[in-house]
Amino acid sequence: MSDIKSIIKKIDHLTPIPQVASKVMSIAEDPKSSMYDLSKVIIYDTAVTANLLKVLNSAYFGLPEKVDSVHQAIVYLGMAQVVDLVLLSASGENLQKAQEGYDLEAGELWKYSVSSALLARELAEKKGVKETHLIFTAALLKDIGKVILNQYVKDSFDKINALVTKQNFTFREAEKEVIGIDHAELGGMVAENWKFSPKMVEIIRHHHRPQEASISEFESAIVYMADTICMMMGIGVGSDGLAYRFHREVVESLELTESEFQKIIAGFVEKVKQLEAMMNI
Amino acid sequence: MNLIVGVSDMKVTNNIKATLVTYSLGSCIGISIYDSVARVGGLLHYMLPESNLDLEKAKKNPYMFADTGIPALFKAAYKLGAKKQRLKVIIIGGSQILDQKEFFNIGKRNETAARKIFYKNNVIISDKDVGGVVNRTVKLAVNNGDTWIKVSGKGERKI
Repeated sequence: MSDIKSIIKKIDHLTPIPQVASKVMSIAEDPKSSMYDLSKVIIYDTAVTANLLKVLNSAYFGLPEKVDSVHQAIVYLGMAQVVDLVLLSASGENLQKAQEGYDLEAGELWKYSVSSALLARELAEKKGVKETHLIFTAALLKDIGKVILNQYVKDSFDKINALVTKQNFTFREAEKEVIGIDHAELGGMVAENWKFSPKMVEIIRHHHRPQEASISEFESAIVYMADTICMMMGIGVGSDGLAYRFHREVVESLELTESEFQKIIAGFVEKVKQLEAMMNI
Repeated sequence: MNLIVGVSDMKVTNNIKATLVTYSLGSCIGISIYDSVARVGGLLHYMLPESNLDLEKAKKNPYMFADTGIPALFKAAYKLGAKKQRLKVIIIGGSQILDQKEFFNIGKRNETAARKIFYKNNVIISDKDVGGVVNRTVKLAVNNGDTWIKVSGKGERKI
């Protein structure tokens, strides 16, 4: 078993999430805030602004003219979508790298994270959840723990894999058993370290076991569901494959019937197109 | 030259320089077919078993479902001179999340859908690599029909 303290210390090696992310989230959740408040916050982060404009001018959005200011971007797309784009732009740095322990090439974990976030947002809207940005961001960052655990998974892959293939462990359970900590638990610690809200911390920590969440059970269930479908669709899935548990009661808590479940999967194809545009962030 | 088959997509070709590739089959199914005489290869990547879920979507994209995608795959190969009796047919994918049972087990249902269609149409399945909790990538070389399956974390093997 590895020294857990030294693993946790590695949280400091991550590129911290830019401040602009938490600022735009609080603006998005404040009904009194205006588009001016939003654009004021974004323009101070030049890297995020540049990314945002690049993506907006991509073929995917098909805007009638070239967008060259954040203000114009908000006019065209609305606050909600611009907020999501800023959150994407702020999160990419850590998630874009290759993760050899999980057999993920550069960009694959990012692809997985962005597709989960897009799907989680759609589910949140369908279920009438107000805090869509919270869900979007939690889904986007839920596997941040993998970025740290990667090296340890690589060193112990054979042991982890043996538990998964021979003893019906999930990959997460096997991480915990072999390394002493799993990627979801570690992800929760990262979220705490980055001063995210208690709800966000909980969703990330419980994204494989949403029934154990206490203050965000419904939100965690949505992120879990999005994660499950992305796993099934295989977009950016690594050596952990589909080795996680299906919790039928969670699906039922979202009041999804079997046919609705399949319809979400069918809608995934359009998501992939959206995903490809977002991937450039 | 790699020809990429996306999710809910199909490609059939007689270009012997081409390798058909589909990445990351989770619960989805890949059907690979090859006629070594006509040197025609085809690869389908479908997501769901039955088109009656959404007929409009099926019309727009028949490759999304087993019951519309599989016939389209075979017809496209026949057009290029392939013959049913000569086709080497391989089923790949259909993985499932642990404890995913009955109706929610899309991987298993996807596999069953293919088997039913093949049985009804007297198509013999030459080989398969299905089920489990793994993620698979498939490559089919049109030159000689060689098919490789890569499982994430476990390397590549020729089938």
